[in-house]
Amino acid sequence: MRNKIAPILNLVEYEDKLKPLTDRRPVASLPFACRYRLIDFPFSSLYNCEAESAALFISGSGHSLYDHIRSGSAWGLDSSVGGGVFTHSQVKLKSNRSAETKHDPFYYEDHYNYVTKTKADYVVMMGSSLLSNIQIQSLLQFHNDKNSEVTVVYKKVGRSELIEDTVHSALILNNENSGEIEAVKDIVSMDKDDSLYLNMETMIIEKKTFLDYLHQAKADDLDINVGNFIQYTLDMGLLIFGYEYTGYLKAIEDIKSYYDANMDMLDEDNFNALFYRADPVRTRSKNSAPTYYGETAVIENAQFANDCEIFGTVKNSLVFRKVSVGENAHVESSIIMQDSVIEEDTYLKHVILDKHVYVKKGARLEGTAEKPIVIAKNGVVYAKGESKEG
Amino acid sequence: MKTETVAMILAGGQGSRLGKLTKQIAKPAVPFGGNYRIIDFALSNCANSGFNDVAVVTQYQPLVLNRHVGNGSSWGLNRHNGGATILQPYSSVDGEKFFKGTAHAVYQNIDYINQKDPEFVVILSGDHIYKMDYEKMLDYHKKQGASLTVGVIPVPWEEASRFGVMNTDKTDRIIEFQEKPENPKSNLASMGIYIFTWARLKQYLADSQSKSRHMDDFGHDVLPAYLRNSESIFAYSFEGYWKDVGTIESLWSANMEFIDPNHELNIRDRDWRVYSKNPNTTPQFLTETAKVENSMITDGCYIAGEVNHSILSHNVKVGKNSVIKDSFIMPNAVIGENVTVEKAIVGEGARIYDDTELIGTEKEISVVGYGEEVGGYSDEK
Repeated sequence: MRNKIAPILNLVEYEDKLKPLTDRRPVASLPFACRYRLIDFPFSSLYNCEAESAALFISGSGHSLYDHIRSGSAWGLDSSVGGGVFTHSQVKLKSNRSAETKHDPFYYEDHYNYVTKTKADYVVMMGSSLLSNIQIQSLLQFHNDKNSEVTVVYKKVGRSELIEDTVHSALILNNENSGEIEAVKDIVSMDKDDSLYLNMETMIIEKKTFLDYLHQAKADDLDINVGNFIQYTLDMGLLIFGYEYTGYLKAIEDIKSYYDANMDMLDEDNFNALFYRADPVRTRSKNSAPTYYGETAVIENAQFANDCEIFGTVKNSLVFRKVSVGENAHVESSIIMQDSVIEEDTYLKHVILDKHVYVKKGARLEGTAEKPIVIAKNGVVYAKGESKEG
Repeated sequence: MKTETVAMILAGGQGSRLGKLTKQIAKPAVPFGGNYRIIDFALSNCANSGFNDVAVVTQYQPLVLNRHVGNGSSWGLNRHNGGATILQPYSSVDGEKFFKGTAHAVYQNIDYINQKDPEFVVILSGDHIYKMDYEKMLDYHKKQGASLTVGVIPVPWEEASRFGVMNTDKTDRIIEFQEKPENPKSNLASMGIYIFTWARLKQYLADSQSKSRHMDDFGHDVLPAYLRNSESIFAYSFEGYWKDVGTIESLWSANMEFIDPNHELNIRDRDWRVYSKNPNTTPQFLTETAKVENSMITDGCYIAGEVNHSILSHNVKVGKNSVIKDSFIMPNAVIGENVTVEKAIVGEGARIYDDTELIGTEKEISVVGYGEEVGGYSDEK
């Protein structure tokens, strides 16, 4: 389906509760499952529907994200005909600033220019913090079958699957079979036993409808996001449908949900649901050597990326690239990111080590599944258990 | 910038001694070490030596090899200036240009070299496992003002008769060449690496055509002709790990050596990396029942069985209660449950069904071919 969609990724996402992991990176470039970053999931959806280009809107330094995306070639976004990753940095959004100033005029202009310059018929909006693997072709087909102006992806979940003060919203459907959307509602106020249709902040829109909204949004100084869009569509009396997603989903909103999403991958059903489907998840490939497991290595239900050297015990954990685990080190129920070194005679349980953390001989760290200990990037953990910022 | 050097990697050989492992693919494309194919070593050496113009000359079963090399981007060889080029036989008004030998392969692609108009041409073979800085050899070639420099490696005297050996004088000038001699006069084996001053070689190759002399093979024809004409030929001695993996046994033993984390090649050295085309695949998943010891495992593997002193390439599956020992498993192979694999090479995409035993010995390594299926239901039962 070449040339049909203009994808816009809104990567200004709620990140406060993910600190320190989001100190130096947006949610979109959070490392996940040994060799991915969250952005790989929406990007793979784009790859699998043969999207040619994408526009990204981010705030703050995009270094870690741009370093990962580069030319976009890993997701087929680098064609010299119609291709490109159009990045728009330093976007000020209301959700991300304390003082409410007006939006930069370029904010609306950039959206307008991107959408009008592609030859697309539809605009697709996506984010990265709702981890999932969405098939855009099926969404488009549903959208056309329903003669819809706007179609929003949702998943039926329990209220308890989201954090207490979640920023996400739910769709109110007038009837589940037709999928027609009646309203959008904040989740925070809902009862903890409720089940709800989570707005997955992914939608497909007719190009003209999108441009009409842009006009309105600029006049009213509104954020361009799925929630506002639904409200606008309803106000205008346009046909808007919900499309049900039934695959793996996790809202990455705080350290615990990030930790749980990773741990979920150790369950084969979840792992297969996300990775072993017709549409593969793609990431930027890096040159690497195989991982070496020494004679003293003891591994039980764990995942690893290439380029590691493992001599200790690793249980129920996820280990990223270029990690070394020394003899008599015990790593359990933990996430160990790229370039970390765990020396011998150490003990880590319920721990998240960000990239390039050094755990010195004799160190012990033990968190809980509810509250894992996070060591920020470049940190050093000494034997007494004290950690130091890198 | 003018092109100083063109590297030609001769990758057209079948490698018939690898038996069913090279039935569908050329020897340089045979997987090695979990994450690599044999040609990656020569290609990475080129990239690390600063060579930008690298031609891969293919002929026998080139499909997998061509896809692997692609535009050379995996080795950083897709720059605007030069890059990797695949050269294959083609037909022209002079007839079909199939290659009769190493030198003939270069002659048939003389248009490519003329287009680059280099000062030196480096001839490499895509068959060996080694790390070598070709730039040092090129500096030596220039310093000696040689018309040909041959890369040589000292081998144990008792093995010298298996190689083409070079007899040198005190200044390292080559004075005699013996192909697989019964009584070798030297233990300096040719590595199949030649640096030619292009203007000179071009003359030899062109003359041979007009005078209908054969210049088909570098070892058999070109080198002897250079010697007869007293060209200045020097030997450049290489020291370090170098392995010809031309037989099943040598391929197996080179892989077994490769497992050692203290292996001389040091593949984790960030300053001289061995690059390859990395497939897009999942993390390696070792389940609760997995037991992995002294082994190398690659992304995309799923392991529920036991792996001991072995290399598993990407996307290999090992079922419960299966034991893989002293073996090299190539990419995408699927090994079922209750399978024993010992002293074996399992080919790409092979399937070994449940309850199968596959046990080789050091003298006779058990081999499962490319895409071959072993075990399972049969009518004989």
